[in-house]
Amino acid sequence: MPRLETLSEVARQVLVTFPCLVHETAPWTPLHKPLAQSTLALVTTAGLHRRGDVPFITDPRGGDASFRIIPAATSAGDILQSHASIGFDHTAFYNDINVTFPIDRLRELQERGVIGQLASDAYSFMGAIRNPRRLQEETGPEVARQLKAAGVDAVLLTPT
Amino acid sequence: MVREHAMATKAPRALFVPFPFGSALGKPNDPILQHRVLSASLALFEHQAGPVLEDFPEEESPGPLLQASAVRRRDNAVLSDPADEVTALRGCYERWVEEHNGRTAVGLCGIPQRRWRGVIRFLEAYAHGEESDMKERLETVSIPQFVRYCIDDLKAFYYEARMVQQPKATAEDLHAWFWGETALGQLIPTVAQRMHAADDPTLKAVAYGIAR
Repeated sequence: MPRLETLSEVARQVLVTFPCLVHETAPWTPLHKPLAQSTLALVTTAGLHRRGDVPFITDPRGGDASFRIIPAATSAGDILQSHASIGFDHTAFYNDINVTFPIDRLRELQERGVIGQLASDAYSFMGAIRNPRRLQEETGPEVARQLKAAGVDAVLLTPT
Repeated sequence: MVREHAMATKAPRALFVPFPFGSALGKPNDPILQHRVLSASLALFEHQAGPVLEDFPEEESPGPLLQASAVRRRDNAVLSDPADEVTALRGCYERWVEEHNGRTAVGLCGIPQRRWRGVIRFLEAYAHGEESDMKERLETVSIPQFVRYCIDDLKAFYYEARMVQQPKATAEDLHAWFWGETALGQLIPTVAQRMHAADDPTLKAVAYGIAR
């Protein structure tokens, strides 16, 4: 999430004109128990998936709003990135998956007892979705349903 | 996503991390920084009301993200055939995989590396406007998407090999090398040009994602 003023004029204009949703209120839900007793799920918009999964596609109609499930036990070597954008430096991900999908760091927090439990599944979406309708009406609520069914108390969302 | 987007959407709890796109946790292979980011993120749960938008106090300013159009070619430094380049880089790539416990970002197109000379010929034919395909392409994957997956795999292969050759290279060095000195870095923009020339929004969108 760079500061706008650090970007090129072209990149800045792309972001300033991005059709971002504008909300008047925030859906505030308190965490009802300490993190150390909570189940935390990792959700990302980095366009990640397991090796062998169907990659994300480049969809000019507003973006690929589908999602992939990544079991938290998946090894880093079996996670790929098919994000359609070259607007960010992919070499960071080549070097260390945790720079965008901090699965090893969260396992460490679980071992230290900072979080109660890491959810058994992580979820991955594509970023840069210009038309969020399907995300809002279908895939987003579906992931929320699955998270609730799995007893997840809190979510850490990592954007690109 | 930028800070202004977090403000507009009113995410209930958001931590603004002034890091480059694609690096929400700061820097690769820096678990201490990554834990500081996580600690600041999880601390947002302590607030009793929201929305909350806090700023992470450390900053990693993004360097210039070099794209193909911004790099001057140095044609005296390249092998002329990207297929020969792939062969020449394979040893370094295999060292990368070995040194990273088998981890590689290569794997989207599903084609084994012994067939990558064929992938190069496929991309060359595509760039020249010929009807080209590979038998490994699944029917459910369109040719333009398949082209992107092949190119994304080749990019990962090249960069991972180069990081073995030049372990201290910055991201800027790597992009300057790829787009300025490799034969593949010359071929990919010609693939994108063919896509841009078509009156097809999907092709144009794919082109924008493989070379600018």
